[in-house]
Amino acid sequence: MSSQPSAVRTPAESVGVFALLGNPNTGKSTLFGALTGVRQKVANFPGVTVEAKLGQRTTARGSSTFIDLPGTYSLAARSPDERVALQALLGRLEGIPAPHGVLIVVDATSLDRNLYLASQVLELDLPAVVALTMVDVAERRGIEIDVEQLSEALGAPVVPVNAPRGEGLEELVAALEAVAEQARPPLVISYAEELRHAVDTVLAELESGAERLGWTPCRSDALRLVVDGDGPFLSEVEERLGGDFLSRYRSIRESASQERAPSLIEAQARYGQIALWSRGCRRVTEQTGTTWTERIDGVLTHKLWGSLTFVVVMGLLFQSIFAWSSPLMDGIESLFGALGGWIGAGLPEGPLRGLLVDGIIGGVGGVVVFLPQILILFCFIAVLEDLGYMTRAAFLMDNLMAKFSLSGRSFIPLLSSFACAVPGIMGARVIEDRATRLTTIFLAPFMSCSARLPVYTLMIGAFVPARTVWGFLELQGIVLFAMYFVGIAAAVPTAWLVQRFWLKGHRSAFLLELPSYKMPRIKAVALTLWQRGGAFVRRAGTIILAVSIVVWALAYFPRSETVLERFETSREQARETYRSSLATSVQELGLPGREGDPETVMEETAAAESDQADRARVRLKAARDNLDGRLVQLDGDEQGELLATSYLGRAGRLIEPIVEPLGWDWRIGMATLASFPAREVIVATLGTIFHLSDVDEESESLRDVLRDAKRPDGGPLFTLATGLSVMIFFALCAQCAATLATMRRETASWRWPLLSFAYMTSLAYLAAFAVYQIARAAES
Amino acid sequence: MTTPGTLAALSVGARARVIEVGGDERLQQRLLELGVLPGIELKVVRTAPLGDPLEVQVMGYSLSLRRSEAEVVRIEALSE
Repeated sequence: MSSQPSAVRTPAESVGVFALLGNPNTGKSTLFGALTGVRQKVANFPGVTVEAKLGQRTTARGSSTFIDLPGTYSLAARSPDERVALQALLGRLEGIPAPHGVLIVVDATSLDRNLYLASQVLELDLPAVVALTMVDVAERRGIEIDVEQLSEALGAPVVPVNAPRGEGLEELVAALEAVAEQARPPLVISYAEELRHAVDTVLAELESGAERLGWTPCRSDALRLVVDGDGPFLSEVEERLGGDFLSRYRSIRESASQERAPSLIEAQARYGQIALWSRGCRRVTEQTGTTWTERIDGVLTHKLWGSLTFVVVMGLLFQSIFAWSSPLMDGIESLFGALGGWIGAGLPEGPLRGLLVDGIIGGVGGVVVFLPQILILFCFIAVLEDLGYMTRAAFLMDNLMAKFSLSGRSFIPLLSSFACAVPGIMGARVIEDRATRLTTIFLAPFMSCSARLPVYTLMIGAFVPARTVWGFLELQGIVLFAMYFVGIAAAVPTAWLVQRFWLKGHRSAFLLELPSYKMPRIKAVALTLWQRGGAFVRRAGTIILAVSIVVWALAYFPRSETVLERFETSREQARETYRSSLATSVQELGLPGREGDPETVMEETAAAESDQADRARVRLKAARDNLDGRLVQLDGDEQGELLATSYLGRAGRLIEPIVEPLGWDWRIGMATLASFPAREVIVATLGTIFHLSDVDEESESLRDVLRDAKRPDGGPLFTLATGLSVMIFFALCAQCAATLATMRRETASWRWPLLSFAYMTSLAYLAAFAVYQIARAAES
Repeated sequence: MTTPGTLAALSVGARARVIEVGGDERLQQRLLELGVLPGIELKVVRTAPLGDPLEVQVMGYSLSLRRSEAEVVRIEALSE
């Protein structure tokens, strides 16, 4: 037996690896689902924001691996995301097995445009089969395609499929397995002389440097370099072949572009070839009447009805992620609370209990609580996307969003971010344009999410006077609205900055296909929810868990022995006081058994039926309440002092000079540090540091305590100015581990989350500083 | 403002033939790939309620593009 690892990571009995490639909206993913079932693996590529899915299909001959590549209109590689398709087909991507063949998915309703990509793929030296989808829809529109003619024209088998009904799948797989074994002469498209010459010359250059490139160059590589010009591919080749290559390349391209742009030459040659193909194999009978899609669009993109429908749909979406998810979120919260309580009760007081209950269960629970919002939102998005409505929503909103250098596609991710930035950022996947997607992701945390609400509620309740202005507006309501508005107001210049400095030279493009309306497929929607939900839970279980544990440990350690001993003594004293007060009662009531334990004597007396027993009961209860109250107070004080002497507390004192200009003291600074994993943690931390147990944002006592909190000089800690400064900070900061972790996953790099954190924290600091100074000046 | 003789200036329902596709390299290439190339006929189906973008019927499918993007497509109007 050989212990050599196989170069391609596929099962031993594997028949082959096949990539699926096609335009968006062709039913490619449906076909992939029908071929492979629900057991799919998602593969991410380094440096890009798109992903591929891997699945298996078992046939009589063995098992085949299918790779679902992102939908694209062309193999041109102007951005790293677009580069993935060609790289994957040529087997140059790490973690993705090299395909033995490619399945080109072609939509029969727009054959010409679909054949553009197909013709690019057929130019590769790779076995290929064409899956023809939407044949029934095309026929209803009077488009008939002669499959055999088309197959002959393309030089590759063409198989009509209906994936939802499972028709044509067997034939498709059989065709794939057959072509994988025989070489196919690559398609030759006759480009104009200047382009052909340039491609030949660049190919020769590449071939002479093949060793330094690390892969075997092909004609398509040279074609892409000549046509696409500057982009990730050119940079990659330049890096390996050096500046000499670049200058020769530039002059080759220059001379090829003298009369017409290379992209025009390519498109004309390709569409010229396609016109010949489709003339031979397609018959169109003019249809009278309108299609379903046209009729639906007559309403859904209508000036009045379309706008109305849009408002209703968005209202429903917003309502669902805000209100409908709250019972589920409450359920998860109490579930985690109960779990923590149950585990806590079974463990002795100590670091292990703290770690399990506060660190792990509290930390993960605080993130998993967003799962209902994520699932509901993704259910909405998946259904709307499947239906074809998402592109219409983008069509309706684009004009508005374009004013902020975004596109219509950014609207729903940003709207969802008002509930939670995590699903918002995940929802930005639907934006094809990379720069627009990155900008949308960057802006998502600026929308005031539901986790900020507890902070606003607490601060507004405590420091904004409850009075009406101009007769009918509640001042507290205005401040809350202003907090929501602050995020949007900050997002507008941020969008400009991001595109001006971090995505240089980008102009947001729209160019969107409006596909035909289709019925949503429940299975596909369910699968999307399962994958998205799973990805989020896995993240909560890893990076977010780690962050929660670190913050918990910083707030827990070191347990100051002096503090612990001092409070143990105080507790002992309290119990002593309790016993002596009972002894006094025993004396005063003249109870028998004075020599015994006063508590036992009191209990025995109280259990009886007499006047004396009544009095004993009253006194016993009073003494016990007294003791309980004192113990709770001591516990709270102890937690507060332990927190103050913890590493986190020390860090709070360390940063006090930094947060002082915001009107904060070390306690607010520390609570802010502690709320790095999640903003709402600040409420609980403030409660602990101000010696309260069990608080939430509605708790009257925390409000009172905050109002009464003093500075060392005796002045009040919190004024309206401080409260506003805290709120502004939390409106603009990026204090959310889940958001940053999601950003890292969706942008496939740490660059964006780090940039976001640094930018938002600086912005939050400056805004809080300005607000505090202005409000204080106004107060005095 | 829209430049006469471009796709951006075409009114809803009007048909036209593409003469030339300009714009920066990326936009030009994307339009060409999507089938907006010289000699092709297209039709403006509608505009969005806010006046922009446009919906254009081209090569048997619906393409939505902004007026600023349609500006780079020079056309000759066709009569019905």
